[in-house]
Amino acid sequence: MDNKMEQLRKDYTDVPIPEELDMIVDGAISQSLKANRKRSPKYRWIAGVGAAALIFLVTINASTTVANALSTIPGVGKIIKVLTLKEYVVEENNYNANIKVPAITQLDNKELELGLNEKYMKENKALYDKFQAEINDLKKMGDGHLGVDAGYEIKTDNDDILSIERYVVESAGSSSEELKFDTIDKRNQLLITLPMLFKDDHYIDLISANIQEQMKAQMKADPNKFYWVSGAADVLPTDEFKAIKKDQSFYINNDGKLVIVFNKYDVAPGYMGAAEFVIPSDVLKGDLVSHKYIK
Amino acid sequence: MLNRKTEKLLTRCIREHKENVYRLAYSYVKNKEDALDIVQDSIYKAMTNIELLKNPEAVKSWFYRIVVNTALDFLRRNKKVHPMDHEMIEAHSAGAEDVYTDIDLKRTLDALPEKYRIVIVLRYFEDMKIDEVAAVLDENVNTIKTRLYQALQLLRVKMDDGPSKEIK
Repeated sequence: MDNKMEQLRKDYTDVPIPEELDMIVDGAISQSLKANRKRSPKYRWIAGVGAAALIFLVTINASTTVANALSTIPGVGKIIKVLTLKEYVVEENNYNANIKVPAITQLDNKELELGLNEKYMKENKALYDKFQAEINDLKKMGDGHLGVDAGYEIKTDNDDILSIERYVVESAGSSSEELKFDTIDKRNQLLITLPMLFKDDHYIDLISANIQEQMKAQMKADPNKFYWVSGAADVLPTDEFKAIKKDQSFYINNDGKLVIVFNKYDVAPGYMGAAEFVIPSDVLKGDLVSHKYIK
Repeated sequence: MLNRKTEKLLTRCIREHKENVYRLAYSYVKNKEDALDIVQDSIYKAMTNIELLKNPEAVKSWFYRIVVNTALDFLRRNKKVHPMDHEMIEAHSAGAEDVYTDIDLKRTLDALPEKYRIVIVLRYFEDMKIDEVAAVLDENVNTIKTRLYQALQLLRVKMDDGPSKEIK
């Protein structure tokens, strides 16, 4: 028996420690230190209350107020803005949610504005309802941990382009991250889609080939990086990145470059997080409809 | 101010035990990527909920408890979302089997109900004292003693079972 226990112990301690561990540990520590520093005293107080469930809905009726304020300043024309319309907050012992709903204002194309804002509201409401349902399930099953953090980030805001990123990070043990993008042509008040930038479907191959090259180059330059790309070690053929989707997530950055985005787990193991690739405009130039957006 | 001090203590504890908690996470999920994810999430959870650590002296068992819970949550969640197909199971286990010197023995431990397996792991592989094991699992010392005794019984029965069946 002792002998066998020794054998079991050896099996356990023989599990090799991956090289990435150090990087991941350091990254997680510095990331969470940063998050701690950012927390306001109020937030800390709420967290301290712990067991007490606090649910609040903050509705900022800023849209009309800000619109009026802006229109009264002489010389300032219509400024397209993104505001936080609503915030869902849940703070319980093991469950927390923070969902911020963005809203776009001051678009002349009211149909587009309304369409986007309705989409944001609906998706976030659905997320909140799903979170509530999952909490109830978990409570029935015993207990667990669940967190949802959703919000938005303005990726680009210049005279021509407004790109909004919306993120949803769900954590229950391991965390998943989902990103969605909307890019608006401010001058023509249009929602830009990926296919409409190009003459034909050829862009799928152009971009996919370029991303594969970038993945390989990054892995070569930094052994801590890993993508599921053909030629990399231990990649299942089913996991391999072959091509982007026709309507792959993207945005246009401030330099007028196309940026292709993949969610966590899409093209790389979880520790790599979401992946972004800036596509050199040279690669695309043969297939671009115009250089209006992509420069 | 007090928080900064505890933060330092926790950071030191995490760095000191990172390899141990990686192995612990690995013992649940049996693959590198998920084990790394669990370690990452556990660190984040611990660091950002540091005010819940009531007694800084118990930092190690507190952190281990988070790792254990995170791993369990992970298994529960993934059971719901991704059932493994045969292809995946084969792909995951192909390399691993070569490493085990005694597959049957290894399976004996993994076949134990989780509450027994974890006490063996913490007590014998992580060299924790009974009261530390109790703190990690949030149980009282007597419960852990009983569970450990039962775990050893089960393990012994199973180990003795193997060969005797073959003799028959």
